[in-house]
Amino acid sequence: MKRTLTVCPYCGTGCMFYLVSDGGKLVGVEPSVTHPVSRGGLCVKGWNAFAFVHHPERLTTPLVRRDGVLQPASWDEALDLVVTGLQAVQEKHGSDAVMFASSAKATNEENYLLMKLARAVFGTNNIDHCARLCHSSTVTGLAETFGSGAMTNSISCIDETDVILVIGSNTTEQHPLIGSRILNAVQNGTGLIVADNRRIRLARHAALHLRHKNGSDVALLNGIMHVIIAEGLVDEEFVATRTENYAAQAAAVAEWTPEKAAAATGLEAGEIVAAARLFAGAKRAMILYSMGITQHSHGVDNVRCVAALAMLTGNVGRPGTGVNPLRGQNNVQGGCDMGALPDLYSGYQKVADPLVRDRFARAWGVPSLPAAPGLPLTRAMNAASEGRLQALFVMGENPMLSDPDQGHARKVLEGLELLVVQDIFLTETAALADIVLPAACYAEKEGTFTNTERRVQRARKAVESPGTARADWEIICDIALRAGYRGMCYHDPREVMDEIASLTPLYGGIAYDRLDPHGLQWPCPDRNHPGTPLLHLEHFTRGLGHFSPARYRLPAELPDDRYPFVLTTGRTYFHWHTGSMTRRSHLLDREEPRSFIEIHPDDAARLGVRDHDRLQVASRRGEVQTEARVTTMVVPGVLFMPFHFAEGAANALTNNALDPESSIPEFKVCAVRVERVP
Amino acid sequence: MKILHPAQLNNFIERLAKAWEVRLPVLLPDGTRVIGSPGDGPPALHGGAVMGKPTSAFFPHHGTLFTSDGGKLEGPQNPDLPLFVLGFTPRDLACLRFIDRFFADGLCDDVYFRRRNNALVAGLSGLCGPGGIMIPPAGGGCDLEFFCDGSCWLVIPYSDGGREVSAGLSDPALPTSVELFRQAALSQPDEQEELLRRASELLRADRVPDHFWAEIGDRCIACTGCNLACPTCTCFGVQDWRSAQKTERSRMWDSCQLDGFMREASGHNPLGSEALRSRRRIHHKLAADPEKWGEISCFLCGRCDAVCPTGIGMVAVAREMVARFG
Ligand code: SF4
Ligand code: SF4
Repeated sequence: MKRTLTVCPYCGTGCMFYLVSDGGKLVGVEPSVTHPVSRGGLCVKGWNAFAFVHHPERLTTPLVRRDGVLQPASWDEALDLVVTGLQAVQEKHGSDAVMFASSAKATNEENYLLMKLARAVFGTNNIDHCARLCHSSTVTGLAETFGSGAMTNSISCIDETDVILVIGSNTTEQHPLIGSRILNAVQNGTGLIVADNRRIRLARHAALHLRHKNGSDVALLNGIMHVIIAEGLVDEEFVATRTENYAAQAAAVAEWTPEKAAAATGLEAGEIVAAARLFAGAKRAMILYSMGITQHSHGVDNVRCVAALAMLTGNVGRPGTGVNPLRGQNNVQGGCDMGALPDLYSGYQKVADPLVRDRFARAWGVPSLPAAPGLPLTRAMNAASEGRLQALFVMGENPMLSDPDQGHARKVLEGLELLVVQDIFLTETAALADIVLPAACYAEKEGTFTNTERRVQRARKAVESPGTARADWEIICDIALRAGYRGMCYHDPREVMDEIASLTPLYGGIAYDRLDPHGLQWPCPDRNHPGTPLLHLEHFTRGLGHFSPARYRLPAELPDDRYPFVLTTGRTYFHWHTGSMTRRSHLLDREEPRSFIEIHPDDAARLGVRDHDRLQVASRRGEVQTEARVTTMVVPGVLFMPFHFAEGAANALTNNALDPESSIPEFKVCAVRVERVP
Repeated sequence: MKILHPAQLNNFIERLAKAWEVRLPVLLPDGTRVIGSPGDGPPALHGGAVMGKPTSAFFPHHGTLFTSDGGKLEGPQNPDLPLFVLGFTPRDLACLRFIDRFFADGLCDDVYFRRRNNALVAGLSGLCGPGGIMIPPAGGGCDLEFFCDGSCWLVIPYSDGGREVSAGLSDPALPTSVELFRQAALSQPDEQEELLRRASELLRADRVPDHFWAEIGDRCIACTGCNLACPTCTCFGVQDWRSAQKTERSRMWDSCQLDGFMREASGHNPLGSEALRSRRRIHHKLAADPEKWGEISCFLCGRCDAVCPTGIGMVAVAREMVARFG
């Protein structure tokens, strides 16, 4: 028996637990009792996080497509093919004809190395990862308003606040150990406002549940701010001393009377007034949000409004307050921190800045680095269909299921000259690849993950990887070497972290010997720094907080006669994203075995649909069959569908309408029609 | 009775490990205490009940039931050495007794008893509770008991196996008995036991309305922790992993808080709501088990209250129930 302390591979809450192994096999999980977030508990995914690791479908050997079929190959053969393939595409079509997709499931070290590989070895800034699909709006919106695109406060602040506004986050299902903390706070008297038109569990405990129309967040938040200003509830001192551009904000919300906001959101004017009073009346109020805010064609505007609401009421820079984007994946914060982004190096240092470029070039021992920002992932598909992109290297992502407009994604991936996928299972995307590289999973390697409260924690190896599968970082370094680059030889991830620290002021004091037992919160600029639980204490990272008023825009696609329903997508409690791990975990898959769609009883009655009926759902982009779940979780006119399932894939329907600034797709709103399958 | 000085503990464990697969409370690197192997961390006998089912040595989180390789069937491996498990508080021992009886009932659970038979179970009591408080001794129900007298461990064997492993230890200077402590504890009313008894009566008299369970259900995030930490929860799920010629059937801890687990083969779920499942979790232990087994099957080990992220473990629910409807 052996117990290995590590970080949960699922959500950004970052619970730590011990993997229990016996004779080289995982046999269970035990929560860490002392961990500041999980505190001896876990959610159902954490309790089952060992269950997929030894699954017989794990990839154990590299695969190379020969005669149209993926066939086993040696590492030498596969990696040489990767390198020559990428180089050939670059020779023919230029450096920027290749793109690297990094992974929010990979460690910080691996994300850093893949971005180094893209930039230093292959000379392109075409590197991105799935943060593009979840919190790119946050990174853009909060960088502009506060100067730092991360959770301002810590999870423990939930215990100290008076009012919590949860907007666009199904916290008990998607960040369960944060959701449970909210439930506890409410039991102890904290006021809860839930703004989400699904009747999520938190709504059952809310003082106010605002079921505003999908995509009307800007109207709602502007309306709330209007009331706060009109009723004199503004924190004048905070606004005067800590912020700028207030006049423009006040002018922008002046027209958003509760009545006007009510008309746009479908709420009662009184609900908006009540929310404003409850929130602004609290001594300490906290905002938590997630995909319901970010995944819109106006996601950045949503974030601007959230930031403005917090500044208006002086709820930044103190315990129990703050703007708290809940990051989805266990390392999506880290993926961004490490610069797996087309315009940024690690620590959000701009690619466009010649001084920064120069520093990285010198440290990496290359004459120069590319200056022009690369492609965001969500624009890659179009670039590929236009022939600008010919090769894609995907590490631990499954765009076939996770990207919007699946039909288009498939066509593009199939049309690439070279598709390389590095993963732990033969995912829907890997099945299309020319070369598949088998990777170690979280339980089989060392590294660090950064959770949603910016806590950098160590993940540890508990068991060996299956067959010849190798850790992502080892594979990346091997590719670099084969491409003739000698600057990526490391004994272990610890050395990679030392390099990261030397080039990344935010992580300057992060080192493995400092991370026990439960990590450090960045910014941590030097080795003596204790980490930073609260951002923006005396002043914002950018100096003064900047009000960026937002104009209300409708979603890109609205229901009409042909497609009369709004479809909104998301996840369920038991599954993780495209299900490569959870659908191979017996207990989790048993609980949610099939694709489904939520439909309100009134709509169901009108269409003659009963619970469990098969439904055909169609949008302008595609159609799928799925099972009806008749429920008052959704409001009439709105349907909800999770995107985990390859059969009945929600993303066959969704719309790749992008936010112009963050390039996030509008996963939360598209128009569909639905009918019973006879 | 024998005596073991704290300084002798490591030696004693080392000697034991020659003939036994030893499990004992250890301190893990981040301060978590579990019943683990000696290599997991330094012994941590003080601090009361450890987190995690103490019974997991016999009924692990995940374990193979059989494998079929090219048609050849193989059962689970017997442990190389018999198990020696130290760390059961008297309440934990009551739990063990309960599940021993459960797994032996009807078709005896072979996989459980492969590990349980021949195992030695050692209790833990005395001045080693949380913050040094007294855990009254069990006085039996195990092979031997380690009782902390404040400076040393008194080792009291109750079975031949217990006598055998403690034989090499020295005798205490003065004749001692821990029976007095047990009697003293028995004569004190136990507030929590009383609470459970009253909660059980309320349930059996059907005096807890449905809306109460709806409220509790609303607070349950279905993490399954309560079941996975409870030593008397014995539910498991079964999975088959098939590859080219090999099939591996295994079982893992499961939970009555899950909809899918409660669903019958027909697809019907008699407990299809969170409210009903929350009611069942409590009702089963406080009302159904007393009917079937003649006793409440919660022995107040405290684990579900510690593990529940939303504060609705057994004692918390019982307290709320008695306060509102008692
Ligand atoms: S809350 Fe998130 S990090 Fe914690 S156990 Fe669940 S999935 Fe893992
Ligand atoms: S531990 Fe609490 S939240 Fe988790 S399943 Fe049990 S009662 Fe529900």
